[in-house]
Amino acid sequence: MKKISLAQIKMNRKAKVIEILGGHNLQNRLMNMGVHKGRELLKLSHIGLRGPVVIKVGRSILALGHGVATKIIIEAE
Amino acid sequence: MIKKIYLIGNPNVGKSVVFSRLTGVQVISSNYPGTTVEISKGYLQLGGERIEVVDLPGTYSLESTSSAEEVAVSLLKEYNKDEIAVINILDSTNLERNLLLTLQLIEGGFPVIACLNMCDEAGHRGVRIDIGKLEDILHIPVISTCAITGAGIKLLIERIKEAAAVFRDRLTHEERWKEIGRIIEQAQHLEHRHHSLREILEDVSVRPVSGLIMAAGVIYAAFKFVRFIGEGIINKFTDPLFINFFQPLLEKLTFHWQEKGFWFHLLIGDLINGKIDFKQSLGLLTTAPYIEFGMVLPYVISFYFVLSLLEDIGYLPRLAILLDNLLHRLGLHGYAIIPVLLGLGCNVPGILATRVLESKRERFIASTLICIGVPCVPLQAMIFGLLGKFGGFYVVGVYLVLFSLILILGTILNRILSGYSPEFLLEIPPYRFPPLTILARKLFFRIKGFVIEAVPVVLLGVLAINVLLYFRLFDFVTGIFAPLVNGLFGLPKQAVAALAIGFLRKDVAVGMLAPLGLSVKQLFIAVTLLAVSFPCIATFIVLWKELGVGDVIKATLLMITVSIILGGTLNLLILR
Repeated sequence: MKKISLAQIKMNRKAKVIEILGGHNLQNRLMNMGVHKGRELLKLSHIGLRGPVVIKVGRSILALGHGVATKIIIEAE
Repeated sequence: MIKKIYLIGNPNVGKSVVFSRLTGVQVISSNYPGTTVEISKGYLQLGGERIEVVDLPGTYSLESTSSAEEVAVSLLKEYNKDEIAVINILDSTNLERNLLLTLQLIEGGFPVIACLNMCDEAGHRGVRIDIGKLEDILHIPVISTCAITGAGIKLLIERIKEAAAVFRDRLTHEERWKEIGRIIEQAQHLEHRHHSLREILEDVSVRPVSGLIMAAGVIYAAFKFVRFIGEGIINKFTDPLFINFFQPLLEKLTFHWQEKGFWFHLLIGDLINGKIDFKQSLGLLTTAPYIEFGMVLPYVISFYFVLSLLEDIGYLPRLAILLDNLLHRLGLHGYAIIPVLLGLGCNVPGILATRVLESKRERFIASTLICIGVPCVPLQAMIFGLLGKFGGFYVVGVYLVLFSLILILGTILNRILSGYSPEFLLEIPPYRFPPLTILARKLFFRIKGFVIEAVPVVLLGVLAINVLLYFRLFDFVTGIFAPLVNGLFGLPKQAVAALAIGFLRKDVAVGMLAPLGLSVKQLFIAVTLLAVSFPCIATFIVLWKELGVGDVIKATLLMITVSIILGGTLNLLILR
């Protein structure tokens, strides 16, 4: 178990959110969409090297800009 | 006493479909978050009273984090809480995330009634929700609906009056999610389902390699399909109608008209080789209806058919993911593809749709790029009609020039404008296959909108041209701009009039170029300039409203500069 950002893990990996860096606004937006501390998610896709990341949280699919993904600190299985 | 009814819910749960069902007011609904950027209002008859219903933009939370959400929340607070009823619309397939807003609404003391929409889809996906249980836990009326078919709407209307404020402790964000977890456990049952073909397709379209291949395929097919249907309508339907029926009729009616004076000139226009030529005569009864109904309308139908299909299936947000990298270089993010695609139909809804972008900077960049580099369907149809006969190469050439222009300008704007553009954060909807009746209704709504808005302006435009040409009033303007247009762009001085009319409507402007006998090179330059220079007046007004005076002046100066540089460059570069 190691703590890295969502941008760093491979596709098709499950992970658990440990911390969300960044401003209050970003934390709130993610929280409202169901991404919060302790939440499990699945990384579905990562387009290009510095491209967006697609995740599955609960029953929703979310697309996050690369910058957002680097701010979500996770614990990979 | 209910004075107003508000529809509120997460993005893309079908609020607008419920709104249409309640009020009978048709609004555009699509399968992507952020379709509704304007507040729609309508009326519902409830117990003999006429109550206003307001469709609010989608919001995830009452603690607003974007401007669309802010609008929704501030409107909700306009009236006293005991004077309103709030219909909270939820997506039954994703109850968990949707309940956050429901809890906030109840905690805030709003009289809420919950409407679990898309219940049929939830059933297909193995989601079973115990409505009674949910009512017990939340203490508010809960109704299960399927707005697309209309199921449950009657019950929803009957129970609106039951909406009443109930007391609930205010929770912190984390407590709320825990509470939602408990509610879900009691009221929702998930059946395990195997991966369906639809889910496999959903996956494929967001993976790096397969996604790009699929996107290329979809864009190619969409383009081919638009051309196929558009040309089909023209060749099989409108052209025969105009040439075999309308033309002989007009000729018979005007046969005895000996003196070809002002009125003849106005209604029929110039005769080409003694006959009416719909493309060149420029009369109110000849070229005006032919441009709108014989050249543009077929493509309006085919374009909006394909766009509506892609919207309703839910493909566009996936395209946004794949284009995020590219659009980032232009100071935008992936979701800017939505306003751009809408702009390809008509720049007006395109610019309105830039409201899905969060910052003023992004909206300035997106609106300016749409005005300069995104040609609307009427303009494109005319380009196909006039330039197409010289070969597809020239038509593709116009698109290439415009696309390069978007890339170059976007990169420059991204460098020189202060501030930075926010990141992409978007929910991707599942693929849905709405019934054809829904698609047909939306298509009809859009086409009706086009006809109502375009026809008067086209008639006015052709009228203005004829009066101005007949009384030689253009000569003054032509004289001023002739050196620029002739010397720099290599166009004849009569083209000045056409470029000026472009401010009124682009299709009429291209129509004016037809009788001038331009060479391919001149035609190519003229239509490209029409696309790049001023937007039409309707777009300009919306641009003004959306950006404010300062930014409109900036955008306009940019358009003029770009047009002059581009016109000159093309004139130098193209040899024949």
